[in-house]
Amino acid sequence: MNHKIELPKIDELNFPLIYKHLGNFIKSEVLKAGLKSVVLGLSGGIDSAASCFLAVSALGKDNVTALIMPYESSSKSSIEDALKVVNTLGIKYYVSDISNQINEYFKNETDETERSENADATDGIVLKLRKGNKMARERMSILYDYSYKLNSLVLGTSNKSELLLGYGTLYGDTASALNPIGDIYKTQIYQLAEHLGIPKTIINKPPSADLWEGQSDESELGFTYKTADDIMYLLIDKMYKPEVVISLGFEENIVNNIYKRIKKSQYKRRMPLIAKVSERTINIDFRYLRDWS
Amino acid sequence: MINKSNSRINVCLAQTDPKMGDLEKNIENHINIISSAKNKGAEIVIFPELSLTGYFLKDSVYDLGVDINSDEAAVFQPLYKISEELNITVIAGFVEKDADFNFYNSTFCVSNGKLINVHRKVYLPTYGMFEELRYFKQGDGFDVFDLNGVKISVLTCEDAWHLSSSYIAVNKGAHIIIINSASPARGITAGLNKFNSTNMWEELLSVIAFYYKCYVIYVNRVGFEDGIGFSGGSCVINPSGNIESKMDYIEAEEIITELNLNLLNNERFKTPLLRDENLNLTLKELESIIDNNKVK
Repeated sequence: MNHKIELPKIDELNFPLIYKHLGNFIKSEVLKAGLKSVVLGLSGGIDSAASCFLAVSALGKDNVTALIMPYESSSKSSIEDALKVVNTLGIKYYVSDISNQINEYFKNETDETERSENADATDGIVLKLRKGNKMARERMSILYDYSYKLNSLVLGTSNKSELLLGYGTLYGDTASALNPIGDIYKTQIYQLAEHLGIPKTIINKPPSADLWEGQSDESELGFTYKTADDIMYLLIDKMYKPEVVISLGFEENIVNNIYKRIKKSQYKRRMPLIAKVSERTINIDFRYLRDWS
Repeated sequence: MINKSNSRINVCLAQTDPKMGDLEKNIENHINIISSAKNKGAEIVIFPELSLTGYFLKDSVYDLGVDINSDEAAVFQPLYKISEELNITVIAGFVEKDADFNFYNSTFCVSNGKLINVHRKVYLPTYGMFEELRYFKQGDGFDVFDLNGVKISVLTCEDAWHLSSSYIAVNKGAHIIIINSASPARGITAGLNKFNSTNMWEELLSVIAFYYKCYVIYVNRVGFEDGIGFSGGSCVINPSGNIESKMDYIEAEEIITELNLNLLNNERFKTPLLRDENLNLTLKELESIIDNNKVK
């Protein structure tokens, strides 16, 4: 056993338990909703592949449906990798290209129509981000339509790293009914993926939201997931203050940047705020688990 | 009936997955388990903490409270009845409401149709993911009760994390400490095939059993409540500190295991820690600690 305080590895010893635990989570929460199946978006990336493998282990291949929702700029290899997951697992899938909707919506928009007051705006980037968000929400909207159509719950595919960093679209890719991998850091997703038997091409490619050509998570974030995860494990799981994490030898500006990102994106991890007027307000002092039903 | 002269007891550990907020369904499940345990020779059936209601109850504590000393106790009548019919002892967890409308995280022991003990959880975790003090009132002691000559004490989950609880129980004469719990699975470590929380529990249970020279019966629940999974792993630890029976960390199941109370005799003779325990010294020190704290 390793007693150094560092992000714990998912290895051959703890994997069987984590695997069974996550499978039972999916099965138990789906059954409690009175359903037996899930639908999820497959991007060709490692996170949705991991969620998909877990869902099949929990519910069986007949109860998992994948949606592949490419945009015209999506890389061909993403679609191939998504199909690899589908074929490996033998599950049903649908392909729904979202290019028409997105292009129609943005047809009269140019970079000149960007909102200049956006603090993060640099030339050309706002429209790109808006398009990326719109794509994520379009996919969510299709998933929820299929959720109703197939009488299935939407399975989430966001990992703990991106949820903490706010590296996701509110009501887009972060939306789901249940998420088996939301408490697992990206670094650990790679370890999990090895044990799940996810195709190597998916494990080995650099992480990307694939919202535009050549997009890379790590160059956009400005640090690697490995660094971020080591830092976030200490900040979040171990509740070390940023100055303590820095004193352990982590780069000051990265620690501060990550801590700032986590705080700034808190709204993405919570339900909308409700103004309290009555004596008993939803989620403030009207408090029940979702499983209450 | 437990017969101390042969010093053996058959105990059923019922590692269940209670249905959140559904007393009726849970009672039905308890009855099924009790009947089948009896068929396999069990004399006591032990269920987890809040086995009749589920754990993260939040506001539904208000709806589930039962005053066990009033007419409301009728809801548990089927359990009393089966206990009497089958001549068996049942230990199960419920939300207790007292005459003054306080709520407790409680565990009853019904033997041959009669209520013989209610333990109100004393240490109510209210930190991290837990919020028990928001809803429950603390119990005020650790009873030891007699089950046909065998002395038993019930501690509920967090109670056991305070080593003073088991200290009190064994010095009051407990031979068997029953720990019922609803412990969430949390924390992973490379090279460890169980959750960190399970590992902590197993170490703790072994310490209690070995150093207090008693049998420890740990009954934890399984299943999920809003994404939080409970870690099972119910087990029996003998006074040598060894695990005698252990259950799955994930699946609901029951085991029936025989405790050999002769081992208490053997262990307490070989390592007479309890005999040598200086209660007066402890009392003197505790009084001085309390006095000193007052001055501050």
